[in-house]
Amino acid sequence: MGAFLIKDIMLLLRDRYELIILLAMPFLLIAILGFSLRGIFSGDLEALEMDVALIVEDDEAQGIEMVQNSIDGMGLPQESEQTLKQAAESASPQTMLTSLLDSEEISGLVRIERMGRDQAEENLEAQSIDAIIIVPDGFTQSALNNMLFGASGGAQLELLAADGASPKSDVLVSILEEFVRTLNFESSISRLAGDTETVAIAGGIETITAQKSMTSFQYYTISMAVMFVLFVGSAVARQANLEQRQMVFERIRLSNRPPLLYLSSKAIAAAAIVSVQLMLLFGLSTLLFQTFAVDSWDFWLGIALISVVLAVSVGCLAAFMVALTLRVESDAVPAIFSAGVISLMAFVGGSFVPLDGMPESIRTIGSWTPNGAALSAYFSWMLDPDVHQLSGPLARICAVGVLFLAAALALFPRKGGAA
Amino acid sequence: MLKTDKLTKKFKDTLAVDNVSLELRKGESVGLLGPNGAGKSTAIAMISTLLKPSSGDVRIHGKSVLKDPGDMRRVLGVVPQKIALYEELSAYENLKFFGRLYGLSGKKLEQRIGYVLDLVGLSDRKKELVKHYSGGMQRRVNLAAAMMHEPEVLIMDEPTVGIDPQSRNHLLETIRRLNHEEGMTVLYTSHYMEEVEKLCDRVYIMDRGKVIAEGTKEELKAILSDQETVWIEFDQSYPELFKKLSEIEGVQHADVEERSLKLMIPKGMRLLASLFHEAERHGAQVTNVHVQTPTLEDVFLRLTGRTLRD
Ligand SMILES: Nc1ncnc2c1ncn2[C@@H]1O[C@H](COP(=O)(O)OP(=O)(O)OP(=O)(O)O)[C@@H](O)[C@H]1O
Ligand SMILES: [Mg+2]
Repeated sequence: MGAFLIKDIMLLLRDRYELIILLAMPFLLIAILGFSLRGIFSGDLEALEMDVALIVEDDEAQGIEMVQNSIDGMGLPQESEQTLKQAAESASPQTMLTSLLDSEEISGLVRIERMGRDQAEENLEAQSIDAIIIVPDGFTQSALNNMLFGASGGAQLELLAADGASPKSDVLVSILEEFVRTLNFESSISRLAGDTETVAIAGGIETITAQKSMTSFQYYTISMAVMFVLFVGSAVARQANLEQRQMVFERIRLSNRPPLLYLSSKAIAAAAIVSVQLMLLFGLSTLLFQTFAVDSWDFWLGIALISVVLAVSVGCLAAFMVALTLRVESDAVPAIFSAGVISLMAFVGGSFVPLDGMPESIRTIGSWTPNGAALSAYFSWMLDPDVHQLSGPLARICAVGVLFLAAALALFPRKGGAA
Repeated sequence: MLKTDKLTKKFKDTLAVDNVSLELRKGESVGLLGPNGAGKSTAIAMISTLLKPSSGDVRIHGKSVLKDPGDMRRVLGVVPQKIALYEELSAYENLKFFGRLYGLSGKKLEQRIGYVLDLVGLSDRKKELVKHYSGGMQRRVNLAAAMMHEPEVLIMDEPTVGIDPQSRNHLLETIRRLNHEEGMTVLYTSHYMEEVEKLCDRVYIMDRGKVIAEGTKEELKAILSDQETVWIEFDQSYPELFKKLSEIEGVQHADVEERSLKLMIPKGMRLLASLFHEAERHGAQVTNVHVQTPTLEDVFLRLTGRTLRD
């Protein structure tokens, strides 16, 4: 067995093409995707903390009064007049904005300080703050006008940022845009319904809080790792095909070793390579991009547990592919697998896009792929290091592994005899 | 010690090997001679337990290998027609791997690797990757790998195909030494009759799946004892004359080349008179006449009407 293993691993290490696919490619993708998609994962936002000045040039009381005055001049029935006036008073767009900025999600991200315009501009110049939010004169009035009467225009906010289009100010812009949109949209709904009590701060920031505390690097390190371990399967199968074509397989048969030794060595070699591959990907990613915290033993123990289970399962997958490749005597099997099947598995497993929005059927299939199950195991461990939550995905990974192993044994040509 | 009994292999509609019965005695060097597609490799695959016969049997020390190929595999060293080695490993690493498959380890393994590398003369280049070797060197490692487990019988399937004369001589010399000095039993397959003639005591000639002749070299050539081969060279090509000469009564076979002609005639036939007569009539000048003793090539020609390279 030792002889087989050493040979199998040595051959893989000498194959530059495979090494590039197994290590360089996923690492490159982690780097590219991690950097370019920074900002769509909320975990990234911690790195985006900013100090913001709030300048309020709008006089809320005056705005409300003006709107109420114009209601008076409309000659509406007494009852409606009263309701509208009340609505104008309670809607209070300025309060909505402040409570948004004070909300838990945002306050962790943006430190707000009210100040006058001159001081704010000075601070921005000196870069002691990152941006200025201005609530312009007439904000309340136009917000209410839009809200109650559907008057065109609607409320507007202004943002002054120190550095044009940095990821930081991008985030702030999208938060404010969302708010203004919500404000103007909600208001039209309440106008239609004629019920101002429903006006509240709603929606708008969920997209940011959904994937709680996961950074783009964390997401892509895990999703690329679980995808690229699958390539070990085709690498090992390609090796078996080469052995068959170059007749070394015949030489191995002539040595009269049990043929299953050959197959199990392939599976073990694959599992070993996957383990090393995962170790390198997680390790390098952490080293270079600070992807994961280094100081938590428990965290890494869990990651190691998932990785080992995944590695064994991929070992079984590799055995299945080796058996199939030898059976059909063609390298079409690893070729098709690496060209198409892996992408498909990676897609339904959630390596390319999060599966939240996918149909139930795809999510179910994905959860039964070794990569998909491992992905959810890693994610769940990251967000909540609770061993009990791992049992589901880990059991699925094992079950799939056993299936592959059974298929491998059924397909493996029993060439031990004279045939 | 090794016998095949009416060995037959049918692939769909080709009868690749047809009722072949061979025997190898201890210490013998036996040749299996035949043109491309004769069925040599197929026969060897069955003998070495890699292919199941359609019918017939293979026996080693009197025991059939069909149920238990183990005995045969222990005894046999097989040098396949293809280079069966890991290209990405060095010669040393290849030998180490195959040696370990046979249960060798430690000092014994190193000793054996040293021995077979010496045998094929590659000790000083053992660390290079096989893919960087020349064709001849790869062939030599191919032989070395088959020798790792000290086989009693060496079976070689065209081990000299496509290599330079120097490597070829080295390889042939190595095999001859193994046979003569170490008593290794050898089955040597080739379509080069010179090689078989040089190496082997006994020869089987195969064609289209069948053994068409067998015996010692002398016995086989005795098939031709009643005839001789006359080789005539001219100053230039005379197609008409060559045709005429080929059709002289009594000529059994003619082999026409550019400026020469090879005629197979019954012993004692008086060819020369008519030869010079015809040559004169065509204004041709004979530059050389040579009466050859028969070769195995001639035997094959006589038996099949074709040359080995046809
Ligand atoms: N696996 C196979 N399937 C079908 N036909 C085969 C197979 N192997 C060999 N044959 C056929 O059997 C015949 C004998 O082939 P074989 O390789 O044994 O000849 P050979 O004497 O070794 O020839 P060469 O000198 O070219 O190596 C050929 O006609 C070949 O096409
Ligand atoms: Mg052959």
